[in-house]
Amino acid sequence: MTPRTSTRTLLWALLTSIVVLYAFPFAYLILTSLKLPTDAIAVPPTVLPKAWSLENYGTALATPGVIPSFINSTSTAVISTVLSVLLAVPAAYGITRYGTVSGRIFIMLALVTRMVPPVAIGVPLVTLMSTAGITDTPTALALAHTTISLPLSIWLMASFFEAVPPSLEEAAVVDGCTRLQALVRIVVPVVGGGIAVTAIFAFLASWNEFLFALLLTAVRAQTTPIVIANFQTQYGLQWGPMTALATLYSVPVVLFTLLLQRRIVAGMTLGAVKG
Amino acid sequence: MAPAAVFLAVFVGWPLVKLVVDSLYDIAPLAGTREFTGLGNYGQALTSPEFLGAAGRTALYTALVVTLEFTLGLAAALLFNALGSRARWIRTLFLYPLMIAPVVAGLLWRFLLIDNFGIVNELLTRLGIIDGPDAIGWLSDPDIVLFSVALPDIWLTTSFMALVLFAGLQNIPGDVLEAAHLDGSGPWHTLTRVTLPLLRPVIAVALVVRGIDAARAFDVILIQTNGGPQSASETLSLLIYRTMVRFGEPGLASAMGTLYLIAMLGVALIAVATIWRPGKGAQR
Repeated sequence: MTPRTSTRTLLWALLTSIVVLYAFPFAYLILTSLKLPTDAIAVPPTVLPKAWSLENYGTALATPGVIPSFINSTSTAVISTVLSVLLAVPAAYGITRYGTVSGRIFIMLALVTRMVPPVAIGVPLVTLMSTAGITDTPTALALAHTTISLPLSIWLMASFFEAVPPSLEEAAVVDGCTRLQALVRIVVPVVGGGIAVTAIFAFLASWNEFLFALLLTAVRAQTTPIVIANFQTQYGLQWGPMTALATLYSVPVVLFTLLLQRRIVAGMTLGAVKG
Repeated sequence: MAPAAVFLAVFVGWPLVKLVVDSLYDIAPLAGTREFTGLGNYGQALTSPEFLGAAGRTALYTALVVTLEFTLGLAAALLFNALGSRARWIRTLFLYPLMIAPVVAGLLWRFLLIDNFGIVNELLTRLGIIDGPDAIGWLSDPDIVLFSVALPDIWLTTSFMALVLFAGLQNIPGDVLEAAHLDGSGPWHTLTRVTLPLLRPVIAVALVVRGIDAARAFDVILIQTNGGPQSASETLSLLIYRTMVRFGEPGLASAMGTLYLIAMLGVALIAVATIWRPGKGAQR
């Protein structure tokens, strides 16, 4: 079924207008960050800056805590990603390869943890972290973030392992590999793309998380989302610098994602479409 | 499997147990006292107008977000499908809000919708749709604020809905649609009688996943309105947070959290059971 040309033109027009509407908010964020601080809140607002300026970026980066918060966000997300992948790969492998009842129950339970409202376990986690003596550290926050990303990681990795035929590693075992060697040397390289997708999702989950960061960090381990939120209370409504900081925080991940978009779409739709 | 299971038991299981245990106590964190009250906190929660109001708003918010996202997402997915591979770059562009932090999205929309210098009201005024830049108080009018705070959520994740549904559409064999066409089925008829039923399992997963996320919405709303004006946008996550952290009533907050969790599990299970219908050949 190919629609006629006129229908096709109409569809393109429709799609283009949706895309413009969809892209506008983010474009406006970036444009506002490049205005002069006073123009950012001028009445009436303009879409394009009257004068281009990097002053908002200067103000944002000079605000105490901003640069450390980027370091904290990065280290928290890296620790959480590594932990998620290290825990999820063997778990998902075990579940898909040995197909035991406990494995199936476990993957269902992992899915149930996705339904737990973070606010419900946030405060008990604070107690747990202070008992462990790691309050207000990126490690503590990374552990909390892993509770979000691990179930999803296991679910994703299980789908990727299912796509690898067991005969592949059986052949390796016949050729004299141990089971572990077969996993590390044969299976892991084959699902390398899947691990990359899982890692991206785990990283983003941590990078963008807010509630645990709010509860578990005070000063030293504060991540950028918290700093962005604090702009409106501590320093009044500084929209200009706030948009600059939001841009700095979002643009790298958006660019990164657009570069890797094909893999990300695959990972995102995998679980749902397989049913 | 074991290390992951241990991890989840320690960092999810144990906090959940603590949540349920705490919900049975009357706790005063400052005085450091704990007093067993049985189901007292539950009684207090279930009879408090704040809790019931927040529960209703959470349900409304979730329904609003999921319905709008599904409608828009399905429309976008059908457009992508009709246009084929030439729409690839648009699909790529569509992906980007998914990567933006909810805090940033909430903030950005607050900025777009703000009275006076918000660009949305300015553009609407210039188009002659509204009388002036403060004609609509998106975030200050209690009647519409729940809808306004949902906008960033919808903006952020409609793409997820669209891409999942698009992937589902791609899996529908072309000859099925061709057969419907040859049998004289019009586009609308084909959509409602052939395409949507075949998409059922995909739709179920997408709705459940997004429903759970929307029901837990916290940062998007916190940053836009902090639950206001007059609690008109206060959902359960915000109420529990305030009760726990600001009002210092962990016992009551734990009872609310437990009820919230039970409700989420219940609704999710019912949704999966009724829409998904696993085992009835609907898996693929």
